Amino acid sequence: MTQPILSLRGITKHFGGVKALTDVSLDLEPGKVVALVGDNGAGKSTLVKVMSGVHRPDSGTYQFEGREVAVSNPAEVADMGVQTVYQDLALCDNLDAVQNLFLGRELTGPWYTGYRVSRAAAERRAKEVLKRLRLDSISLTRNVGAMSGGQRQNIAIARSILWEPKVVLLDEPTAALSHSAAEQVGDLVRELASHGLAVLVISHDIHHFVLDNTDRIEVLRLGRNAASFNSRDVTGEQVVNAMVGGNEAVNMAG
Amino acid sequence: MTDISIPPTPTATPTRSLTERLGNELSFVPVAVGLIALFLFFATQSDVFLTSRNLSNLLVQSTVTGIIALGLVFVLLTGEIDLSVAATSGVASVFMAKLVMDFGLPVPLAILAGVALGGLVGAASARWVTLIGVPSFVVTLGVGLVLNGIQLLLLPRTGRYNLMNSGVDQLAATHVTGPMAWGLVLCAIALFALVMGSTWRSRQRAGLSASFNAGVLLPVVIVALFLVGVLVFLENQRGLPMPVILFLALLGVMSYITSETRFGTYLYAIGNNAEAARRAGIKVDRIKITAFAIAGGMAAFGGILSASRSLGVSVSSGGGVGGGALLLESIAAAVIGGVSLFGGRGMVVGALFGALIIATVSNGLNLMGVANEARLIVTGLLLVVAVSIDRGIERLARPG
Repeated sequence: MTQPILSLRGITKHFGGVKALTDVSLDLEPGKVVALVGDNGAGKSTLVKVMSGVHRPDSGTYQFEGREVAVSNPAEVADMGVQTVYQDLALCDNLDAVQNLFLGRELTGPWYTGYRVSRAAAERRAKEVLKRLRLDSISLTRNVGAMSGGQRQNIAIARSILWEPKVVLLDEPTAALSHSAAEQVGDLVRELASHGLAVLVISHDIHHFVLDNTDRIEVLRLGRNAASFNSRDVTGEQVVNAMVGGNEAVNMAG
Repeated sequence: MTDISIPPTPTATPTRSLTERLGNELSFVPVAVGLIALFLFFATQSDVFLTSRNLSNLLVQSTVTGIIALGLVFVLLTGEIDLSVAATSGVASVFMAKLVMDFGLPVPLAILAGVALGGLVGAASARWVTLIGVPSFVVTLGVGLVLNGIQLLLLPRTGRYNLMNSGVDQLAATHVTGPMAWGLVLCAIALFALVMGSTWRSRQRAGLSASFNAGVLLPVVIVALFLVGVLVFLENQRGLPMPVILFLALLGVMSYITSETRFGTYLYAIGNNAEAARRAGIKVDRIKITAFAIAGGMAAFGGILSASRSLGVSVSSGGGVGGGALLLESIAAAVIGGVSLFGGRGMVVGALFGALIIATVSNGLNLMGVANEARLIVTGLLLVVAVSIDRGIERLARPG
């Protein structure tokens, strides 16, 4: 098994008297897609927010590339190479794909142009990135507001990897998508892993999305690690059982 | 699982539909068509309408509203509104007049001070809006009344500063003619061609699709025809009036800022999704404050121009208490020009077309001998029609 790039050990997080996470551990390896599943309130989002630097854990260790890091804010985590795509995507519908990809990080010309935005350079870079991700069908010049849900999701993901992170965290990328749109996102997720990224996906869509597109499934229940499965040798029923607390909590991962 | 119907496999559609383009870079086209229709209509109704003397008047009439609307576009793009622009224009013009008449300040300095005051007022309102999180329309409504009060305080007991032969009157009275005028127009065309040309060249170098005809030739020819047309028409009269030159120059600079710079992109981003902009690292508050400062500065300059044209400032400068017709027409000009009140949509050039439409209606109906009340009704209806067309285009551009 490859060395994990991001590794959490014994993470505990309280909110007032509520224990959101208790002694949770998680590893993400380069080139692997890990699904994080669990019932509502199982602590999935909290765990992602710990990883992305929004929340500080009360105890436990956060290792990145084999070194323990003290994470204090989201920008630091992003600079370190861990990008998060939240459910609301944070796209501007009135801008096109290129403008959205580079929003806040525009390439600009020299001072005598009034720091004019270098549209051509950005468009070329965007084209390369989208091509590498096999997203050539996305138009660079249409407003993203006029695009389908799957395309919008994919643009948000493409934006997260534009600056070459090592880990991508996706919070419910298929929540509001049709089956076919979710398939597009699944293709992209596997494509990211094939480029050597470590990917974590939160998803409720066990039967279609998770089983088809991930390598490992980590189940959280009531803020604890409940089970870990190898996606290839598990059925949807087993995963759901672990989520809702069926009789046996199994560990079948290799 | 909810299925918000999305077309199955998305077919590659690199070409954009007309409705989508009308919602973006062609947002001024409906209003430009409307303007031409109005011109044709009034030309058939009055022999005087198309004379260069009348058109010169019409252009100059549109500059004050146009310049105020131009600044307002920046604020509207961010999804905010500034209801104090007319009051700002009034107070800044009175302030400028006071500096000249009572303190003997040189005119250019006084004008600069007036514009700076307007910018400060705008920035202060915006700081308050972003700090407390109150709606900008309430804050600026209040600020407008405060400014009306200050305007009265600044005026002398006679209630009026006469600016005849003060030097301020020269601003509006100057006309540029002959080689000088041609030089200006050619410079403007050359600058525009340079901007469009460099875009085209950098796209070509980057190996991207770039059409010389559609990307450079056509826009340059349209702009050149417009500017040369204006020049030829006005040469018959007394040349290019300074207010028109200033308005068009400001229009060019502001268009460049909104469409080519980071700041411009951020205005649109904030107007559409401020939270997304914030997460992308954009300093939303700072951008908004700058937008309000630009609106305030432009409003002040519009007011100063108006003072120069009317040879004085008084209680009624800046549209009188509450901003009156000046405020409403400035907002209407921007909105008729295709700038959305909900933020994130529209172009600076819309202010030009909007202001021209309002001036044309007023001028044309005047020539037809229509009473004032009918003019108000027509302008009001135009506004309603314009927003409705805008909404329609926006809906059509949406998927599904």
